[in-house]
Amino acid sequence: MWRKKLSGRKNIIILVSLVLVSFALMTFDIRRSQSPTLFETVVMWVVSPVQNLITYTLDSANNVVDHYLITVGVSEENEKLKQQIDKLIRQNNDLREELRQRDRIDDLMEYQNEHQLKSVVARVIGRDPTQWARVVFINKGTQDGIKENLAVVTNAGVVGHVIQAGLNTSKVMLIVDGRSSVDTLFSHDRIAGIVVGTGMEFCEMKYVPITADVNVGDPIISSGLGGVYPKGLVVGTVISITKATQGLFQEISIAPSADFGRLEEVLVLLS
Amino acid sequence: MIVGIFTVIFILLFSLQTSLMSYFSVGGVTLDLALILTVYCGVLLKGDRGIWVGFAIGLIQDCLSGSLLGVNTLSKSVIGFTFSTLKDKLMVIGFVPISVILLAASFFDGLVYYLILTTLLKAQIPFSFLFSTLPAYAMYNALVGPILFFFINWSKQRVLRKYPVLESYTQ
Repeated sequence: MWRKKLSGRKNIIILVSLVLVSFALMTFDIRRSQSPTLFETVVMWVVSPVQNLITYTLDSANNVVDHYLITVGVSEENEKLKQQIDKLIRQNNDLREELRQRDRIDDLMEYQNEHQLKSVVARVIGRDPTQWARVVFINKGTQDGIKENLAVVTNAGVVGHVIQAGLNTSKVMLIVDGRSSVDTLFSHDRIAGIVVGTGMEFCEMKYVPITADVNVGDPIISSGLGGVYPKGLVVGTVISITKATQGLFQEISIAPSADFGRLEEVLVLLS
Repeated sequence: MIVGIFTVIFILLFSLQTSLMSYFSVGGVTLDLALILTVYCGVLLKGDRGIWVGFAIGLIQDCLSGSLLGVNTLSKSVIGFTFSTLKDKLMVIGFVPISVILLAASFFDGLVYYLILTTLLKAQIPFSFLFSTLPAYAMYNALVGPILFFFINWSKQRVLRKYPVLESYTQ
């Protein structure tokens, strides 16, 4: 009887301690600077090589599924020729993938030159381990000049900003994350608003006056205010507008211009 | 030895979660391997070990995540604690009971995140999150989770056959 009581009390003490530790961590996280803690650095350092390996393996497997499986199976009768073809296909696929990667990097560089931006090309090596935060890992860190609050873009538009820079890897918060906000303008009539993330696949634009003339498809660019994103970067386009009968502002949904489902290489703007 | 085994499991789990799982994402919803393992350990590890595994999983998830440090530590610890405490009263055999458990755990996990981020960080997460993303996430975990449960069980049996000394850690 007393043993059961003791065990019940022990459980409550454990639960209360864990809840307290969790809230202590949250308080610490809110008050601290953005640089990663030692434990975070160790975890990222341990996981990132395996993460890198899996990402590269998956890319190669994708490559095989995309090009190899479709072409193989045409002639089983000719083993020698098949082997030769396989070898050539593999080589061809490698070259094609390299070419595609170069094309993507060329696009990024072109974008960089157009906007005269000092930047670093980084590869996306992983995504947030939770369903809730919209964060990706990139393979560049403080060693490459990356630091917190640098803007991250692709040639399609704004991706997000660096929230934590480790030695060789960094975390980038996407603009669709619920905590993200970007000061923006409509590119045509220069009406200002704040694009905030929703945690889902789209963003919302806040504080656009009810009287403003907004149409579906209107492009939105960064305003340069806020200190993270330079002026003139494409953020997204309007996909729906709701004008409430009461209230001062419109409810506007935005489709981000960058494709977050297919992020492979990104540009981190250093200045 | 058990620490070594869990270290390897954790490295593999989080490497897969952050890279491979995005390929199995349905409408932006991803399977939560960490949650499934937490529930599994809560239900099937001896004594209060499930609580500590939940705590460790949550803490590592927080370190890797861009979210607020402590959110996942809290939710996974409580999930580990709940199932560790209730395991004798729960029936965890068969697809449906495991699905229901995972559904409840997923809803709790999402609710903790939503409430903490909207109250503490004043994040702009729309209310519709609770009626669209969260149920989809819970359903996905509830449907695929039991298959992973059986797979983990099968792997566990194989490991135990090879290392019977580990039997003292499980139910």
